[in-house]
Amino acid sequence: MTAPLLSAIRPCLEGAIPAIMATCASDGTPNVAYISQVVYVDEGHVALSFQFFNKTRENILANPYASVLVLDPVSARFYRLHLRYLRTETAGALFESMKARLAGIASHNGMADVFRLKGSDVYAVEHIDAIDGEGLPPAPGRSGLLHRLRQCSERLAACTGLDELLQAALGALQECMGMAHTMVLMLDAPAQRLYTVASRGYATSGVGSEIALGHGVIGMAARENTPVRISHMTHAALYSHAMRSSLEAGTPDGEPPGMEIPYPGLPAPHSQIAVPMVAAGRVLGVLFAESPRDLAFDFEDEDLLVALAAHLGAAIDLLQAAPEGGEAGAPTATLAPAVSGTPVRVRHYAANDSVFINGDYLIKGVAGAIFWKLLRDHAQTGRTDFTNRELRLDPTIRLPDVADNLEARLLLLQRRLQENNPPMRIEKTGRGRFRLCVACPVLLEEQPG
Amino acid sequence: MAAPSLLSPEHIAMVDRGVSVIVASRDAVLRPSLMRGVGSAISADGTQVTVYLRRSQSRQLLQDIAAGGGVAVVFSEPPTHRTLQLKAPGATVRPAGPDDRPLLRRYLASMQHELAQVGYGPDYAAAMLSAPLEDVVALQFTPLTAFDQTPGARAGAPLATAAP
Repeated sequence: MTAPLLSAIRPCLEGAIPAIMATCASDGTPNVAYISQVVYVDEGHVALSFQFFNKTRENILANPYASVLVLDPVSARFYRLHLRYLRTETAGALFESMKARLAGIASHNGMADVFRLKGSDVYAVEHIDAIDGEGLPPAPGRSGLLHRLRQCSERLAACTGLDELLQAALGALQECMGMAHTMVLMLDAPAQRLYTVASRGYATSGVGSEIALGHGVIGMAARENTPVRISHMTHAALYSHAMRSSLEAGTPDGEPPGMEIPYPGLPAPHSQIAVPMVAAGRVLGVLFAESPRDLAFDFEDEDLLVALAAHLGAAIDLLQAAPEGGEAGAPTATLAPAVSGTPVRVRHYAANDSVFINGDYLIKGVAGAIFWKLLRDHAQTGRTDFTNRELRLDPTIRLPDVADNLEARLLLLQRRLQENNPPMRIEKTGRGRFRLCVACPVLLEEQPG
Repeated sequence: MAAPSLLSPEHIAMVDRGVSVIVASRDAVLRPSLMRGVGSAISADGTQVTVYLRRSQSRQLLQDIAAGGGVAVVFSEPPTHRTLQLKAPGATVRPAGPDDRPLLRRYLASMQHELAQVGYGPDYAAAMLSAPLEDVVALQFTPLTAFDQTPGARAGAPLATAAP
């Protein structure tokens, strides 16, 4: 039988059935032990989880050769990998993705206290034996994945605005892939946080909710620029409660209370996958999906999401960089129509640019600063039409010089206004242009920082 | 009167019942070889262990054992991960015969029960442990050392060493 390629046996490397590893001590005594994870790194390498200083560890440091037996979870066919130990990684993308995955495996096995990843041992795959046996028919191929990726991709390619793009992406994941609980989060690099800009399949949208870089599967996918996938519900606090605790931990002293926007995630996710959206080598944010079922996402779902996230990243980048229609001339001098009724009280805290409407928290940060500028201009001059360009030039808004994600911040503001339903809203009037609509008198109160 | 056993009655009972079994050895340049067994048996006093292997699946392994590479064998209960490793400097190998058939059947039934508890059906277990008698050999050895290999910090701790 010809030697199979490593990529051809990826179903065996999903961790459904524990792999077994043989090593040999320098005195010639063989050793055999179970191993939690054998992870596909690339066509010539696998990584094995290093969890304990045990005999396997001692042997591999003295004699780098190992044999690993893996089993196909559908066909019951065995494969033997002949490996040579190269190095141990204790930080970075591979390590963090294995650590997250192990947290799921460990909780599933009731081993959460004993399974802790010390390192990712990287091995060269020297040869693979396909072992004789009768076996069962292989898993029916998930036919049409490429076609489904095409369908998703076509829908993204047709979009002309960020909001439309994100809705199309999450809609396509639901309709083409059956992924019913999904989110897009954008990275605020200076703040080291990610904020939700779109979600689908949750009771509340959670738009505006935040997670710290490095926390949970989402924060880790962004920090390490790597897909992170968990196939079982984890009890590891780092992954299960990171969202909520990062919100709590993220409120600095002296900030007005009531600023938490609840994270929309499932209460008991059994499978989660977070994939970075990357464009021009820069992480823009994270595409995330979860499920109440175990093993909901396999390596092919990951492949598809990585491809789709790359398209999404490029499209987001392009829409941010698009020429701004408002640049040519001054904004059209549309003046606000006269309004009447009970005034709305809007308070701005300069310390963190948080904005409250009649005492209810709306938004903070750059999006808060933008909203405050719009309201001030509107109050002073009656202006209603604005351009992205003037926001970029306004020193009070403090947008980063590069990667300002202005479109995403405007979308966040627009969504928060829609969801909180105050008598004001923002609507797009063209590329790089938008309008502030205010339906009642507004009282502005500045709280100096 | 048998020599004091290396294995506790619980360990003997676990092996006797029929749980996952894997055999490893190594060649002259210390490259390891391994394969899953398709059956196992143990004497009542725990001093004689038999593991059934398929010759076609274990050529390198059988060659390495014959050449004096020694054996390391793990027994593990899939639902609990309770794991035991036995080692011996050598083993004898003989072809399996009709007399071994009841043991192989009993082992498969036990493994079907074990694997059902972790979500794999009887057909899967049967395919995984398929053992056409003409392809099966029986490996027999007397364990010299035994180790508790249940995942955790104590994995690898020796249980005891057999009396010389």
